[in-house]
Amino acid sequence: MSEKITFTLNDVSTTVDVEPETLLIDVLREDLNLTGTKRGCDNSTCGTCTVVVNGKAIKSCNTPVSKVAGTEVITIEGLAKGMELHPIQKSISESGAVQCGFCTPGIIMELYGLLENNPDITLAEMQNALNKHLCRCTGYEPIRDGALMAQKLMQDRK
Amino acid sequence: MKEPPNEIMRGIFYQYHVPVILFIEQGETMEYKYVGKNYNRPDAISKVTGKAIYLDDIRLPGMLHTAILRPEYAHAKILSIDTASAEKMPGVVKVVTGKGCHYHYGDNIRDLVPMAVEKVRYIGEPVAAVVADTLAHAEAAMQTIKVEYEPLPVYVDARDAMKPGAALIHEENGQYWHLPTLTPTPGTNIANTYRLVKGKGADGMKDAEVILEGEFLFPHGSCSAIEPHGSIVWFKEDKTIEAWSSSICPFIIREDLATSYGVPVSDVRVHIPDVGGCFGYKSDITVEQTVAWIASFVPGRPVKWVATRQEDYTSTLLGHGIRTIMKIGAKKDGKLVAIQATILHSGGAYADTPVNVTMAATHNCTGPYEFEHCDLTGYTVYTNTPAVGAFRGYGHQESQLATERMMDMLARKLKMDPWELREKNFLGEGKVNALGEKMWKTHGDIYKCAEIVKKKVYGKAKHAEDENFYYGRGFAAVMKSPKGAPFSTKGCYMKMNIDGSVSVVMAGAEVGQGLRTVIRQVAGEALKIPPEKVRVYTEIDTQFSPYEWQTIGSMFTTQGGRAIIRAADKLIAILKATAAQVLKTDVDYLEYDGEFIYLCNDPDIRVAIKDINRGYITDDGITIGDMAQAVSDARLPRYSNPDKNGQGSCGVSYTFGVQAAEIRIEKKTGKIFVDKFTSVFDVGQVINPKQIRGSVMGGVLMSIGAALYEKVDYDENGKITNPHFFKYHLPTYKEAPEMDVEFVETPDAIGPFGARGIGEHSVIGPAPAILNAIYDATGVDFFEIPVTPEIMKKALENQGQVTK
Repeated sequence: MSEKITFTLNDVSTTVDVEPETLLIDVLREDLNLTGTKRGCDNSTCGTCTVVVNGKAIKSCNTPVSKVAGTEVITIEGLAKGMELHPIQKSISESGAVQCGFCTPGIIMELYGLLENNPDITLAEMQNALNKHLCRCTGYEPIRDGALMAQKLMQDRK
Repeated sequence: MKEPPNEIMRGIFYQYHVPVILFIEQGETMEYKYVGKNYNRPDAISKVTGKAIYLDDIRLPGMLHTAILRPEYAHAKILSIDTASAEKMPGVVKVVTGKGCHYHYGDNIRDLVPMAVEKVRYIGEPVAAVVADTLAHAEAAMQTIKVEYEPLPVYVDARDAMKPGAALIHEENGQYWHLPTLTPTPGTNIANTYRLVKGKGADGMKDAEVILEGEFLFPHGSCSAIEPHGSIVWFKEDKTIEAWSSSICPFIIREDLATSYGVPVSDVRVHIPDVGGCFGYKSDITVEQTVAWIASFVPGRPVKWVATRQEDYTSTLLGHGIRTIMKIGAKKDGKLVAIQATILHSGGAYADTPVNVTMAATHNCTGPYEFEHCDLTGYTVYTNTPAVGAFRGYGHQESQLATERMMDMLARKLKMDPWELREKNFLGEGKVNALGEKMWKTHGDIYKCAEIVKKKVYGKAKHAEDENFYYGRGFAAVMKSPKGAPFSTKGCYMKMNIDGSVSVVMAGAEVGQGLRTVIRQVAGEALKIPPEKVRVYTEIDTQFSPYEWQTIGSMFTTQGGRAIIRAADKLIAILKATAAQVLKTDVDYLEYDGEFIYLCNDPDIRVAIKDINRGYITDDGITIGDMAQAVSDARLPRYSNPDKNGQGSCGVSYTFGVQAAEIRIEKKTGKIFVDKFTSVFDVGQVINPKQIRGSVMGGVLMSIGAALYEKVDYDENGKITNPHFFKYHLPTYKEAPEMDVEFVETPDAIGPFGARGIGEHSVIGPAPAILNAIYDATGVDFFEIPVTPEIMKKALENQGQVTK
C-alpha cells in the first residue's frame, strides 16, 4: 500500500505517494527525477548514491523512504545556489578529482555531510570518509586534494 | 594513501606540477602556448552538479524496462522455456526468448547471439526477458519463468577446453563468418590460432647459451567501471532504429544493428551520453544487441536495460584470462637471442571480442626488448565464462607480466644486474620488434625512462627488514602499441563561428580520460586561439558526429589530435584563400595569427578573421569566399594486417616506460602494502599535466588491484562466486600508494605536437613490478596474481623450502 511521505528536499517541502519501503534512491531518481544521485552497485558498497539527511551523509540505496519522513534531505542538485557552486563542488571540479564523474556526486555529498558540520575535521576523519567511496579513475589523490581545497575554502568563509 | 606533503596544506596546487624532462633534438625546449598547460575539464561542472546525463538518467516518452533471465548452468542445452505465468503478471508487455533468432553478429568472428537459442554457454547469458512498464514489474515476472536444462561439461580454463575430446562449446566453430586473417580449428574449442615467426623462429633457441622457462597466469578480471553497462533501443514505426548506450563504439553499434535488422546504416541512430568509466569493456557491441532483440518485440516503444552490478560481472565482457608459457634464450653476456611463447587465452563463450586481445598479447609478449628470433603462438579458446573483451592494456599487461618477471629471473641466472640486462636489450633506435617494425628515435626513449626510475627508486638505500615487515623494491619496463584495425580512423568537424569562437565535433567517447580537454588545447594551439574559445561536443550522435571507428587503444590524442590539426590546416587555408581575394595578393604571401590574416612583408595590410570566417562581405554586399569550416580524419599511417609470418605494420605507434614499486609485507598477516609507486613514460609531449598525472595514477591503482586483490572466481560449475564489489575488491582510498609520476618528452612523429598515447600504459608495469618487489623482499617467486594476504602468508610459512 502506498502512503504519503513528506520531507524537505533541497529546501523545498516535498510529498511523495509511494510504498514506504521504496528505497530513497528510487524515489529520488524515478519519482522525483533527480538523477544526480547514482547507482553503482547492488549491495551498498560503492558510495555513489550518498545523500545528506539531517546533516549526515547516508546511502540512499539502503534507506527506505519512510525513514526520511519529516527530515531534511539534500542531494547533489541542492548544493549550487544558482550559478554559484558550493566550495566542495568548485574544489572537486578543479583538483582533477573528476574523470568519468560517476562517483563524484556521492563523494561530494559525503564531504558536504562532514565539512558543513565541522570544517575543522582531521585528515584522518576525512580519509575514513573517503575510504567509503569507490573511484576507478583517479587513484584518489586528486580527490583528497579537492577535499583539502574545499576544507580550506570552508574554513576561510567562517 | 600516505598523508599529503606539507605543500598541499599550504599551496594546494602542487599536484599540478608534473616534472617533465624535455629531450628534443638540438637540446632545445619546445614551447607551446596552450599545449602542456593545465586547463580544467569542460565537463567538470556538469559532473559536480549532478547534471551530467549518463545512460540510466535518460527518460524517453513511453519507455519500457526489461529484466533479463540468466541461466542456472554455465553450459547446457535448453530443453524448454515456460513463460506462461510471466505473461500474466502485472505491467508485463512482452516476454521474449531467443526462439526464432536466426542471426549471429560480431566484427571479427560472427559467433555472437543476442539471446541463447538452443543452448547456454556461460552463466550470465541472456535466456529470456520480460518487458514491462516498470523495472520492478519486469523483475517480478522474470522470476516466474521456468527453464529446463540438460547440463553439459563446463570449462573455465583454456587448457581444459583445449583437451582432445572436450565437449564443443560451439559445434559451429569454423562455420561462422570471420575475418580472412583468422584461423579457427573446426571440431575443437580453438576459435583462433595466431602464429608469429621472426628470424629462425624456434630454431633460434639453438643460438642461446642460457635458457629460462616460466609459466604465468593473469586471471579473469573485470573493468568494473562505477557506472554499470546499459543501453536503450527503440524500433520506430518509420523502420528506423534509435539506440543509446554507455559505450565507446557508436558507429560499430550502428553498423551491426543495421546488418542484423536489414536496414540501411543511415537509418540507425546511436547516441552516446556521458560514460561513467569504461576501461575497455564498454567497447565492442554486446549488450546493445541483446536489448535490440528484446526491443524488436515491442516496436514503437523504447526499452531500457541497465546492468545490476552482478550482471555487470556475469553478463558484460570480462578481461584477461591469459596464461603465458614463455621460454627465453640469451647469450652469457645477457644479449637476448630468442623467445618462444604460447598464449593460452580463456576467451569465454564467444570469440569475437577476445580474439584481438589474444593477438595483442602474443605479438607484444616480447615487452620492450629486441629478440632476433621469435616463435610466438596465441590460442583464443572458447570457455564457459563471460566473453573476454578489451581491458585497459589490451593483452599487454597479461603477457608482459611474464616477460618482466622472466627478465628479473634471467638476470639472477646470469648473475647480472637486472637494469643492465634490460638496457642491453631495449627496443631502442634502430632495433626491430617481433612484428618486424623498426624503431626510430621518434618512438621514444626508454633508456631515459629507466635512468630516471633507477635514480628515483634505487638511488637510495633499501629499507631494512624490521620486526613487523619485509621491504622490497621491484620494477618493470613496458611497451604498448594500439591493437587497431586497418580502416580505423577518427573524424573531426570544425567550424569557426562569426565571433571567432570555434565548435569542434568529433566522436571520441569521453569516458573520463579527458579527451574533451585535449581537443580544446590541441585545437587552440593549431588555430592559435585560446582553448576557452573552443567549444567541444558534449555527446555523440551518429546522426551529426563525424565517423570514428571506436575510442580505443589509447589513440584519441594521437589520431584524434592529428585529425584536429588537419581540420585546422584546412580551415586556415579557407581563411587565407578568402583573405587573398580581400587583400589582392597570393595565398602564400599571407600569414595567420588567430586574429588576422596579414601580408608577410607588411603586417599592417591585414584582414580580421571575424570579417572573413563566413565569407567576406564586400562594400556592395556581394560576398566572396567559403565558410570557415572543415572536415578531416586521421588513421595510423600504413597500419596493416599481419602477413603469413604473423608480422606486419600492426603496432605503428608505441609508448615506452618504466615503473617501480616500493612495498612492505606484513610478516604476521602476509598483507602487502604498496608504499610508493613510480612511473616514467616517454609520452612525446604532455598536453595537460594535471590530466595525464590523473590518468597514470588511476591506471597504476587499477593494476595494483589486479596484482593484489582482483580476480573473478568460479566454482566447479562455472558460476561466478564474487560478482559484487564487497567480494571483488577494488582498491580503496587507503590502499592507494604515494605516486611519483614523471614524463620524458621525445616528440612523436604522428601525434599532435609530438604527443603519443598514454591512456592504458600505466596498467602494464604494476603487477610484475610488485611481484619482483615481493621476491626482493622475501625471496619468493610468484607466477600468478593476485597475491592475496592468504597466499603471501602461506608462502612465507613455506619459505624454508624456497631458496633465496
